[in-house]
Amino acid sequence: MLASIGLIVLAMSIAAPLAGRMGERAGWLLALAPLAAFAHFLLQMPLVAGGGVVVQTLAWVPALDVGLTLRLDGLSLLFALLITGIGTLIVLYAGAYLSDHHHLGRFHAYLLGFMAAMLGLVLADDMIAMFVFWELTSVTSFLLIAFQHDKPASRRAALQALLITGGGGLALLAGLILLGNVGGSWQFSALSGGAIAGHALYPAILALVLIGAFTKSAQLPFHLWLPNAMAAPTPVSAYLHSATMVKAGVYLLARLNPALGGSPSWSTILITVGAATALVGAVLAIRQTDLKRVLAYTTVTVLGQLTMLLGTNTHYGLQAFAIYLVAHAFYKAALFMAVGAIDHATGTRQIALLGGLIRHMPLTGFAVALAAFSNAGLPPFFGFIAKEFKYAGLIELGVAGWITTAVMILTNALLLTAAGLVFVRAFLGREGCYPHPPHEVSLPMWIGPMLLAIGGFVFGAFNNLAEVWLIDAAVQAVSRTAVPVHLYLWGGFTPALVASLLTVALGVLFYLQRTRLRRRLSLWRVLWRVSGDMIWDRLLKRIFAFATRVADHFQHGSLRQHISWLVLAIAGFALIGIVASTADELVWPELTSPLNLAAALGCVLAVAGAAAAATMPGRVALVATLGASGLGMAMIFLASRAPDVAITQLMVETLTVIFLALVLRRLPPTRLVGSRKPAARRFHALVAVVLGGVVTAMMLMTVSQPLPGDIARWYLDNSLPGGKGANVVNVILVDFRALDTLGEILVVGLAGLAAASLLGGGRNTHAAGTAGGSSARHGQGAREGSADFGSVLLRQAILPLSGLLAVVSLVLLWRGHNLPGGGFIGGLVAASATVLLALAFGVERARAVLRVPPVAMLAIGLAVAAAAGVVGLVQGEAFLTGNWVFPGGLALGTPLLFDVGVFLTVLGAVLHMLLRLIEREA
Amino acid sequence: MEIIVSVTVGLLVAIGIWMLLDRGLLRVVLGIVVLGNGVNLAVFSAGRLDGRAAAFVTEAGAPALAANPLPQALVLTAIVIGFALFVFALAVLKRSFELHGNVETDRITAVAEKPAPDLPAPAAAQPATPASGAAAAATTTATAGTKPASPPAALGAGKGAAAGTRT
Repeated sequence: MLASIGLIVLAMSIAAPLAGRMGERAGWLLALAPLAAFAHFLLQMPLVAGGGVVVQTLAWVPALDVGLTLRLDGLSLLFALLITGIGTLIVLYAGAYLSDHHHLGRFHAYLLGFMAAMLGLVLADDMIAMFVFWELTSVTSFLLIAFQHDKPASRRAALQALLITGGGGLALLAGLILLGNVGGSWQFSALSGGAIAGHALYPAILALVLIGAFTKSAQLPFHLWLPNAMAAPTPVSAYLHSATMVKAGVYLLARLNPALGGSPSWSTILITVGAATALVGAVLAIRQTDLKRVLAYTTVTVLGQLTMLLGTNTHYGLQAFAIYLVAHAFYKAALFMAVGAIDHATGTRQIALLGGLIRHMPLTGFAVALAAFSNAGLPPFFGFIAKEFKYAGLIELGVAGWITTAVMILTNALLLTAAGLVFVRAFLGREGCYPHPPHEVSLPMWIGPMLLAIGGFVFGAFNNLAEVWLIDAAVQAVSRTAVPVHLYLWGGFTPALVASLLTVALGVLFYLQRTRLRRRLSLWRVLWRVSGDMIWDRLLKRIFAFATRVADHFQHGSLRQHISWLVLAIAGFALIGIVASTADELVWPELTSPLNLAAALGCVLAVAGAAAAATMPGRVALVATLGASGLGMAMIFLASRAPDVAITQLMVETLTVIFLALVLRRLPPTRLVGSRKPAARRFHALVAVVLGGVVTAMMLMTVSQPLPGDIARWYLDNSLPGGKGANVVNVILVDFRALDTLGEILVVGLAGLAAASLLGGGRNTHAAGTAGGSSARHGQGAREGSADFGSVLLRQAILPLSGLLAVVSLVLLWRGHNLPGGGFIGGLVAASATVLLALAFGVERARAVLRVPPVAMLAIGLAVAAAAGVVGLVQGEAFLTGNWVFPGGLALGTPLLFDVGVFLTVLGAVLHMLLRLIEREA
Repeated sequence: MEIIVSVTVGLLVAIGIWMLLDRGLLRVVLGIVVLGNGVNLAVFSAGRLDGRAAAFVTEAGAPALAANPLPQALVLTAIVIGFALFVFALAVLKRSFELHGNVETDRITAVAEKPAPDLPAPAAAQPATPASGAAAAATTTATAGTKPASPPAALGAGKGAAAGTRT
């Protein structure tokens, strides 16, 4: 079962490229996946029909007792066969129906994705897994309804469907969680009816689950999304919105019938809502002028009847449920596909324009005739048996059943009328007037309706077949007690037969009087005016208006206000922590290390530089003061015995200044500091001071406590024996915490790629730019070097200097494991060397010296670092475990290789950005 | 020493926030750097500053008063990542100036945020602001190659035009 879902997912993932290459023929290949799944489920039929179940479990969240458990019983098998069988035909059909659509591959992918989700839904025994699949069907349904997303109607319908089914899904999740807690298990099969029905939470569970099921299966008053969903292409309507997805709600009710059913409230709600939905759907169906919408509303009717039948819980009722489910899936999918074929062949679906099509489309017409007979409930079709059992099941209920039966006679008579519209009106009689001359459709488009329609006949005429292989096991899975199942066409002269005869008579009368009937119906203007769609639109508008008001309050678009409130909130939370601290935690730090003059000077420089950068208006001053501040930072690090950090800071400062200088040349001067309004300036100063004060207090609290743990000592002790390196900082970076470093260089690489693409296009756009007027100067930088480096003496000095720097960078890289240096520092130094070269001699020259493009260097660096990790993996150890060899007393290991990766990544990222920038700006 | 560093961290953070709240986007970007320096220093000093020797070990073992290597390693990578972030922010700044001809925090929002194509445009028409005027002028220059007819009041129309020819 898992394999069949996996196969369909696989087909989904190759659908787009396949359709791109093969066009409409891709459907034939893709249909193999659901066909194989269908065959798989067919093979399971003997086992399941004999009362067995197939269970497959995949651990998912064992700690919470949630697993991906699949369980195939009669009900699941019935649904799985419908999903995969009709699915195969639909994939074939869609390939032909949308053959000229440029997103055919996307359509196939959505469709197969839905199929996998739906299959998971009906197979899952675990409630949480079922819910995930449930939501996936909602999402794929959204994508499919909105497939023609350039039409506003499609987008609106898709959103409506998603909001209604998604909202119901939330209720369902809450209901399932309650059910799981009350029932004591997350498996449907382990729930026991008795314990749940008596529980105090039973009403809440029932209400929540029913909301979920009713929204999905379009029951009153949530039915309005389903007719609108007909905006989707016809294969979607045929598959999702009649045969499979809309039945998910009914499926859930059937699945939970053993656990939740049997209470009076269950029966009352299901029968009332179901019958009302059926009647409303049937009445609305007759009013429609579009053939597809007629079918959509009859689908609503059928869903209502299925819900109602589950509510009866009688022997006949449950048999009728299973029979009707199959009968409807067969004839409705066939009719939808046929209507799509009519639309495809004639260019219209308007009933008034159709007529006499049987002469042009005999094959489709034959299929429609069979399906429409089944739809109308005429013998010997499967729909007839469904109708007989339906009446028998209702009559079993007593007085309430008679009333419902009367409603159903009316409803089914209207369904018969609708069937008449589809077949008699469209295919017989006078020639219609069509936008295109009609023609018979191609094989993939008529084979589906034909097979399904014939299926409805075979199951009706040879009903013993369906009974033994499908219906019996399905009914037992739905029922609380064993139900004797026996299907028949002729059961003697029973009340059900009388009701049936009455239905046919009334249906024929309605069909003959259909014009008058429709005129009568449209007289009830008041009823149509208060349509559900209008209420929906108003409701949505209100919600959007409210959301806009709320959002305008918080998302006003002022960065400074956002930052201010964010900062104040952070400070507020920190203050709560400080206030809540005990007296021991609020002591002035005593155990401080003695004053380090150099570090203190660095502090002063860092603060003074930053303060100057914050207040001085000029651009040059900005660069200089910020550089000074960074220098102060480096001094602090150096004086605090952190040479690696200090060198890194120095190199970064150097490059920062280069970047700033290059970008600032193009920016307008900044004259003002802070905000215009003095009040705002005061507020901003207050915000800054508050956070600064809070951070200082937090820092003092931190350092007043003794340093917990011995982690520093562990690194110092293990660096040489474990990491083969004397420079502990470097060993931490490339060995102990190498995974962190891998993530960090990945971030550096990504930032480099993103920044470079923003800093200006590649050399091509640059070349195009030189055609402009003012660009003679900025092209020169790339070719000959900046004019600022015009001095020959300077250039001659730079050449050996950058060469020296390059050598130094390699030395730093090599010795980094034991002495100050390493990949980060080496990469930054090498980048500086190249930049020097690029500034003096032009980017072209620098690129020529490098030979490898920086972006390739970046990629190679990341690959090398990752490969160094894989070595450990190959040896059966954890990813990035160090491996060492000692050829001739030399210690060589994967951490060194990893450091080379770091070196290349940093060098590539920095150069990728800087060379682009110089090309554009120098 | 820790006290001095703690105060330094607080001051750097305060200055960084002040810069983040500046009107000009350039200083906002530089504020990120200052704030980052403050945070780096905070992480660094959380490992305490009582080391007497750098964290280098020999066969004989580590020096008794070696500096704490872990925060050093963390800060080292943080500096490089902070640098990458800074360059990225600078690139965004430069690009938004080229596109909108503006480097003021709140005006960028007004120019850059356009309503979704489906929704009807709000009554307050966007082109009223001088900022988008500059952007429009830049586009005109890019196509026609002439001086902008109405030089925007606020900032660098010439720069905007120069950017326009290159975009």
